[in-house]
Amino acid sequence: MDQNLGITAQPVDVHKCKFVVSEPVFAGVRRFTSAAEAQGSPLAERIFAIPGGFVTEVMVSGENVTVTKASEAPWQAVGKAVGAAIRETLRGAVPAVAAAAPRPAGPEGPGDDALYERVAHLFEQEVNPMVARHGGFVELIDVQEAVVMLRMGGGCQGCGMASVTLRQGIEGVLAQYIPEVKAVVDITDHGSGANPYFASSKK
Amino acid sequence: MTRPRLLLLLPTATYRTTAFIEAARRLDIPLTVASERPSTFESARLDTLVTLDFSSVPRTVDQALAFHRDSPVTAALGVDDDTVILATAINLALGRPTNPLPAVEAARDKFLQREALRTAGVPVPDFALHDLGLDPATHAGTAPYPCVLKPLRLAGSRGVIRADDPAQFVAAFRRIRSLLQGREIRDCGPAGRQLLVEAFVSGPEVALEGLLEKGRLHVLALFDKPDPLDGPFFEETLYVTPSRLPEDAQRALAGVAEDAAHAIGLVEGPVHAELRWNDRGAWLLELAARPIGGRCSAALRFGTDITLEEVVLRHALGLPLPSLTREPRASGVMMIPVPGQGGMLRGVKGTERARATPGVDDVVITATGQKLVPWPEGSRYPGFIFAHGARPEDVEFALRAAHRQLEWELEPLD
Repeated sequence: MDQNLGITAQPVDVHKCKFVVSEPVFAGVRRFTSAAEAQGSPLAERIFAIPGGFVTEVMVSGENVTVTKASEAPWQAVGKAVGAAIRETLRGAVPAVAAAAPRPAGPEGPGDDALYERVAHLFEQEVNPMVARHGGFVELIDVQEAVVMLRMGGGCQGCGMASVTLRQGIEGVLAQYIPEVKAVVDITDHGSGANPYFASSKK
Repeated sequence: MTRPRLLLLLPTATYRTTAFIEAARRLDIPLTVASERPSTFESARLDTLVTLDFSSVPRTVDQALAFHRDSPVTAALGVDDDTVILATAINLALGRPTNPLPAVEAARDKFLQREALRTAGVPVPDFALHDLGLDPATHAGTAPYPCVLKPLRLAGSRGVIRADDPAQFVAAFRRIRSLLQGREIRDCGPAGRQLLVEAFVSGPEVALEGLLEKGRLHVLALFDKPDPLDGPFFEETLYVTPSRLPEDAQRALAGVAEDAAHAIGLVEGPVHAELRWNDRGAWLLELAARPIGGRCSAALRFGTDITLEEVVLRHALGLPLPSLTREPRASGVMMIPVPGQGGMLRGVKGTERARATPGVDDVVITATGQKLVPWPEGSRYPGFIFAHGARPEDVEFALRAAHRQLEWELEPLD
């Protein structure tokens, strides 16, 4: 298996890079923001442990592993270590990423399961009817540690105004109706959007 | 204390949306985004979104002020030639320090700009304005050959054609007239009924990125354009900084850019200038009161990894500016040329190989599923390649090597 494993690095900027693996890494979506949080998920543990990596976030979604680091070292150096961590983990018998244990309700607010239900309802009742006007839809992938993970599709995928829809629209609606949501993460592959509602063209 | 809110004017077709939105997030600046077409979230009545009539300056100002009464904004910022004028008018109405309106209008209109520059003694090519309704043969006899024919308003060298003799002049004239009659750009108004003819200036071309603060020009970057831009069309390809021109040439180019800004009357905000250098010195070709276009700003980092958009947002709100010194490494971007005769872009192979090219930071394909039309009629790049290196020549090499890896799947247009 390992011989045929392909890993492509797609840097977003000097701090963030998406690694696309030729086979699924994890069936769902998980986001880790510290080495402590990564305990029990060998892939995230290994990536946080990269010497000099200064990794601050690992997000695993399907075939994608997105790594954020604080350092300004070029990805060509850190990327090799991330690639090695992915290969080593997938070679092992233990699942690369453990399923998230939903955060229970506590003094800081409702648990992730309860938030998921409320966000899903809001998406169905408010968000999707709005984006549908431009031929788009928004899929709720997960809620972890009060962070909403979503994917955009249809006219939203690759749309020149997708980040406005996300940051000014969806985040605004969430802040209004479900202020317990801490952040929103978009895991859409916008580069593959072939039918965006607004296509960029002006210089 | 309430944090200052910025009204960001984003046309729906701009490439720059994500860069500005994410810069505002990093700086924790509250934003209201204004566009010319309604957002999907319009009905949610959020104070983060508003639709403005970008086709009319007075209407835009009225609408912006009406919005401001309910949801106060501190300042407005435009990101392209047209929205910069609207933002300036809004800032004047809000009483913010900004450019005079005639200055930003002259920055958008190639003829007004050249007149102001010539009057002020800034080196510009000889030029003349021609009416597109007249027979081109009547103009062809008086043109200075070689010359360049340019629409007054279009950006990104769209519609710009070189002519070396009267026959080429007539052909170029008719081609631009046909382009300006197209449905997509009919809204150029009176500027769409005229074109500019100017003497061709030989020599290497550069792009200067700058920021004006109380009339003083901070040079943020000077990009070489290593592909010769000698025509007949002038599609942009490579931008590499720092410039490899001699220091005295770079100083002269920056001096002419600053003189041009003063001549037009610009005193605040980002500027992007196109200049040429030859044995007669520095020449100003264009000066725009906006930051660099496309996704090219991603090639620039300042101080501690600050983006150009962060610098521009801070300036717009009057926040303290960070170090404006560009990172020490050489950097560059390729605006990927439209392949062959263009067509409907169905896919691109080889992007992984291109990304793996040493020195390459990223390859971004932005036009999958879109119609690609070659210059001079076209205005959409298939995508962008970004690279860093120890020296500018390393960056240029990396960009060209990565580009060679790309294979295009294009469906012919009807």
